[in-house]
Amino acid sequence: MSSCCQTLAEPTRGTAKLTVALAGNPNSGKTTLFNALTGLRQKVANYPGVTVEKKTGRCKLPDGSVADIIDLPGTYSLISRSPDEHVAMEVLRGLRPDTARPDVVIVVVDASNLQRNLYLVSQLIELGRPLVVALNMIDIAERRGLRVSAETLQRELGVPVIPVVGYKRKGIAELKAAILKAGVAPMPDWPLPQAMKEEVLLVGGGLAILDSPEQLPGVASARFSSTARLDGYRAMAERLLIGDRAGDLKNVAAREPVSSLLNSATSRLQTLGIDPMQADVEAHYRWIEGVAQRVASAGQQTPEAPVLSYEPKRTLTQRVDAILIHKVWGLLVFALIMGALFVTLFWLAQPIMDALQSAIKALGVWTTTHLSDGPLKDLLNDGIFAGVGAVVVFVPQIALLFFFLAILEDSGYLARAAFLMDRLLANAGLHGKSFIPLLSSFACAIPGIMATRTIENRRERLATILVAPFMSCSARLPVYTLLIGAFFASFGPLRQAGIMLACYALGIVAAAGTAWLFKRTLTGGPATSFILELPTYKIPQASQVARQVWMNTRAFLTKAGTTIFCLSVILWAMAYYPRLPENLSAQAKAAALPAAKLQVKLQTYNPKSPEESKLLAESSPAGNKLRESLVADLSPQEQSQADEIAGQKVAAAQAEYSVSGRLGHLMEPALRPLGYDWKIGIGLVSAFAAREVFVSSMGIVYSVGNVEDGKTADLSKAMRADTYSSGPRAGKPVWTPIVAVSLLVWFVLAMQCMSTFAVVRRETGGWRWPIFMLVYMNALAYVVALLVYQVGTRVFV
Amino acid sequence: MKPCGLSACDNCPTPHACGLHQLGIGCRGNVLGVQGDPDLRRRLLEMGFCNGASVEVVRRAPLGDPIEFRLRGYHLSLREEQARFVQIVPVG
Repeated sequence: MSSCCQTLAEPTRGTAKLTVALAGNPNSGKTTLFNALTGLRQKVANYPGVTVEKKTGRCKLPDGSVADIIDLPGTYSLISRSPDEHVAMEVLRGLRPDTARPDVVIVVVDASNLQRNLYLVSQLIELGRPLVVALNMIDIAERRGLRVSAETLQRELGVPVIPVVGYKRKGIAELKAAILKAGVAPMPDWPLPQAMKEEVLLVGGGLAILDSPEQLPGVASARFSSTARLDGYRAMAERLLIGDRAGDLKNVAAREPVSSLLNSATSRLQTLGIDPMQADVEAHYRWIEGVAQRVASAGQQTPEAPVLSYEPKRTLTQRVDAILIHKVWGLLVFALIMGALFVTLFWLAQPIMDALQSAIKALGVWTTTHLSDGPLKDLLNDGIFAGVGAVVVFVPQIALLFFFLAILEDSGYLARAAFLMDRLLANAGLHGKSFIPLLSSFACAIPGIMATRTIENRRERLATILVAPFMSCSARLPVYTLLIGAFFASFGPLRQAGIMLACYALGIVAAAGTAWLFKRTLTGGPATSFILELPTYKIPQASQVARQVWMNTRAFLTKAGTTIFCLSVILWAMAYYPRLPENLSAQAKAAALPAAKLQVKLQTYNPKSPEESKLLAESSPAGNKLRESLVADLSPQEQSQADEIAGQKVAAAQAEYSVSGRLGHLMEPALRPLGYDWKIGIGLVSAFAAREVFVSSMGIVYSVGNVEDGKTADLSKAMRADTYSSGPRAGKPVWTPIVAVSLLVWFVLAMQCMSTFAVVRRETGGWRWPIFMLVYMNALAYVVALLVYQVGTRVFV
Repeated sequence: MKPCGLSACDNCPTPHACGLHQLGIGCRGNVLGVQGDPDLRRRLLEMGFCNGASVEVVRRAPLGDPIEFRLRGYHLSLREEQARFVQIVPVG
C-alpha cells in the first residue's frame, strides 16, 4: 500500500470551475452532507430521458473558486441495476452528455457500516478519478464500540479521508479544503484468483494496444502517469471480464484484439470453474475485510475481540426494532402511525384546503369588482383564479404528506413499514413501500402518486402509480353521497354505509387485480428482487424535513401545477363557449318565467278550497286562468326570486349549448348502454376538472342553483323526477337505482381527473403512461358499468 | 446465540448446507455460495453475502415474509424467494 496522496490532482484553479460528484450508499447521510456543502443554493431537475432527479448545488472552496456539486442518487454499486444506479454510473464515467464529467468525487462512507460502504469505495478507486472520502457517523460506530480511524483509512486508501458529522456541519470546511487536494487512489492489488489476475493482465494488454484518446476515452483522459494508465487498463479489463458492457465498454469489447482475448479468457476461466463476477466481488470484499480490520478497532468494552467477528451486544436500533417490528406491538404502532397520517390528510388538510380555495376565490372577486360583467370577468374569475385554486388546493395535502414522509424516511421507520407490509403487497406484485402511496391515495391520488418516489424499483413504482387512482379519494365522496342519498334513501343508514364500503372495496380489488396483471405483462420480466436495508434509527433533523417539504411542494407547483392550470382553463372554456345567442337566451328565459313565477307564488299561497287546489294542477282553460291571475301581482321580492329561478334555466340551456354540453349529447349513444343520458355526459366531462364538480354541474343542468355545502336535497328530487322526453324510453325515469349503481361503479374505476393526469405525466416523465392510464382505467370502468347496467336491468326490472 | 438445531433443515440437499430461508430465527450460518440469475446473484454478493460471511436471522415480518438478516454489522431484509438463493452452512 502506498503512502497517502502520492498522485495529487493538479487542482484546476482560477476561473475554471470544478465539478464535484457526491456519491455514497443509500442511508449514508449523503443528502445531509450535500445540504451542508451547498446550503440553499440548490437546483432540482430531471436527467433528460429518465425520471431520476438531478440535484445540483454550488459551494465556495477555500481558494475562492466555486465548485458545482452533483448529488448522485444513492447506490450500492457502480454496476447498474436500477435507473438510479445507472445514472450515477453514467455521471461518474462522464457518459452523460447533459452532465460534465466530475473532476473530483466525494464518497460518503458510513463508519458504522464500514464494509458494505467500502465496497462502493473500491469501485470508485477503479474509476480512476480524484477521490475524497467523507467519513460519516463515526459517533454511531463508537456508540457500538467500534473506533474507526480516519488517519488509518487515509493511509490505506491513499486519498484524503475527512471525518464529518453532516447535521452538525462538522468537518465541512475540511472537506471543502480536501476537494482541492483530492488525488487518484492507487489501485490496490485485489486478491483475485491467480488465473483471473493473469487474464486481467492479458486483456489489459489488449486494451493498451487499442489505447488512444478516440478509442478509449475513459482511460486516456484519466491521468498521464504510467501507473495510473496501467491501473486504468486493469480496471477496464476487470469490468470486461465480469461482463460489464455499460456505456464506454460497449464498443471496446467488440474490437480486436480485446474481443479474442476476452473470449479465450472467459473459456479458460470457465474450465477452471471460476466465475469472474463472483471472483471479482469476493476479491473486493477480501481486500475490504483487511482494510476494515486495520481501520476499526474495538472500543474499551471488548478490547480483545477481533473486529471482523465483533458483534455489539444489542444496539439501540435493535432494541427499538424489538418493539417496532414486533408481531403485535409493531403492527399496533404501524396502525397508529398510518392512522395519524390518514387522519391528517383526510380531515386536517380539508379546512386548510377550503380556506385556501375561498381565499383565492375572494381574491378573484376583489380583483374583478371594477370590471363589467362579461367574458373577461368570467375568464378571470372562473378560468384563471379557479385554475390557480385548482392547483394550490393540493398544496396542504402534499406539504403534510411530505412532512410525514420526511420524518418517516429520515428516522428509518419507512423501511420498517415496508418490511411489515411487504407480504401483503407482494401478492399483487407491489412493494412494501407501495403502502403509504396507496393509503394516501384514499385522501387524494396527487400526494399518493408523489409519495411513490420512495420506491426505488422503477417497475414497482410504476405499478403503484398506475393503480393508485383506484383508491376512492375524497373527491369521490360527494358523488357517492349524492347518488346513494338520492336513490337508496329507503335503505337506511346502515345499508347505505354498506354501499359506500362496497365502492371502496371495489377500488381496492380493481387495484390489486390490475397490479397483479401488470406484474405478469406490462411491467413484467424476471421477478424483481426485494433487498431492503433496515438502517440505523436516527432523529430526523427539522431543517432536513422542512427542506423536503419545500422541495417537493415547489416541484409540484412548477412542474405539475402548470399543466393542471392549463387544463383547468381549457375545461372552463369548454363549459363557457360557445355562448348562447342573445335571442335564444331571452327565449329560454321567457319560456321559463311563467312556471318560475307560479313556483314562487305557490311557496306562500294556500289554496282556499280543495276544488281550487285541484284546479291549480289542471291544464284546462279555467286552470290556466287561475294560474295567470295568481302570478299577476307578484311583490318585487317574489319577482326577483322568479327571475333567479328562470336564470337557472338559462344557465342550464347555456350548459347544454356549450362545448361540454355538445360533448354530452355526442357521447350519449356511447353512454346509453350504461344507462346514462346526455346530462350525465355533461357531468362526466366536467368531472375531469375534479370528480366532485360532477355534483355542481348536475346542479346547473337540473337548474336547482347552488348545491354547495352539501345542500343536495333539491338536486336529488330533480334527478328522481327527471324523465326521458323523447326516444324509445320517453316518459320513463332517467335515473333508477341501477343507473345509480352503474354510475357509482364508473366513478370508482374511471380515470377522470386532470390533476392525476398531470402528476402522472410529471412523475413518469412523459405522456405515455398518463395516456395509458386514461385508456385502461376508462375502458375498465366502461366495461364494468356496462355489465352492471345490462345485467341489472335484466335481473331486477 | 441460539444454534440452528437443524430443525428446519430437513429439506437440505446436504446435511451441512441449506438455503438461508430455512435457517431458524436467531440462528446463524456462514455463506457458502450464492445462486440465482446473474442480476440477483451480483446484488446479493455486493451486499456482502460472500467470503463465508457470518449471517444471523434476526426475525421474520409479522406475516412471515420478508426475513431480516444481520451481516457485516448491518441489517437488511430479503423475501424468502431471494433468501433461498443464498447457500449457508449453519453454525451449531
